[in-house]
Amino acid sequence: MADNWSFVFAAYGLALIVLVAYWRFLVRREKELSEGDQVRRLGSDVSRPGSGGSEPQATAPRAPSP
Amino acid sequence: MRSLLGGVTLAGLVAGLVMGLGIAPRETTQGNVQRIMYLHVPSVWVAYLAFAAVLVASITYLVRRAEAADRLAHASAEVGVLFTGLTIATGSIWGKPTWGTWWTWDARLTTVSILFVMYLGYLLLRGMIDDRERGARFAAVLGIVAAFNIPLVHFSVYWWRTLHQPPSLMKPGPGTLPGSIVTALLVNFAAFTLLYVYFVTRRARVLRLEAEAEA
Repeated sequence: MADNWSFVFAAYGLALIVLVAYWRFLVRREKELSEGDQVRRLGSDVSRPGSGGSEPQATAPRAPSP
Repeated sequence: MRSLLGGVTLAGLVAGLVMGLGIAPRETTQGNVQRIMYLHVPSVWVAYLAFAAVLVASITYLVRRAEAADRLAHASAEVGVLFTGLTIATGSIWGKPTWGTWWTWDARLTTVSILFVMYLGYLLLRGMIDDRERGARFAAVLGIVAAFNIPLVHFSVYWWRTLHQPPSLMKPGPGTLPGSIVTALLVNFAAFTLLYVYFVTRRARVLRLEAEAEA
């Protein structure tokens, strides 16, 4: 029987494309969600009573330097 | 830990590729096209493993209502569908030069297609129900019912007259394959199993982050 290397490479190539695409999807999605998670945590820290973000400025705004 | 698992998995896949495409001998009857087996058989092994994990995680979820079990079932079903699709595609590519056709309604091919569609339906069901707890419960029931198809797929080659060959490795009794082919196959089995663990771990983490973002 002929060796049919083209069929072998087609099968391995297809598997490579599919697996790399799924891996990239997982990495991208995880990165998006982790960044969103950090933003949410930061937001909750800022809006929490007593935290620095919600308190009025204690000092007067600095005058622009000449 | 995860990057270590990723590194070991990648090394295993490269080793499997070298063994399958280079070191394993050329098969006398089929020629080099038989090398698709080193991709096709580990893919169906991962599909079986993934759907068995869905079964166990679904039962755990129904008994304990643990969200981690639900996430494991969801992640495992998705990875299982991915590898079942790969099994069908690589089998079809292998079938053309050996059987002379891309597809035939043979018992093995038909049962594995049903398996693919059932778990695709499982994922669609999860996406269709807005209430997370209700969706998880319905999906768990479907995950248990669909698992009954796994033995049907595996034993279809014994129960019906099929074009598909019987299992060469995943069967009781002494093996008939040469040692060099078995070694290449086992390296790929190990690499694909690691890939399954890696994908499921990452997907389960993504599902947890999605749940936290929605809460």
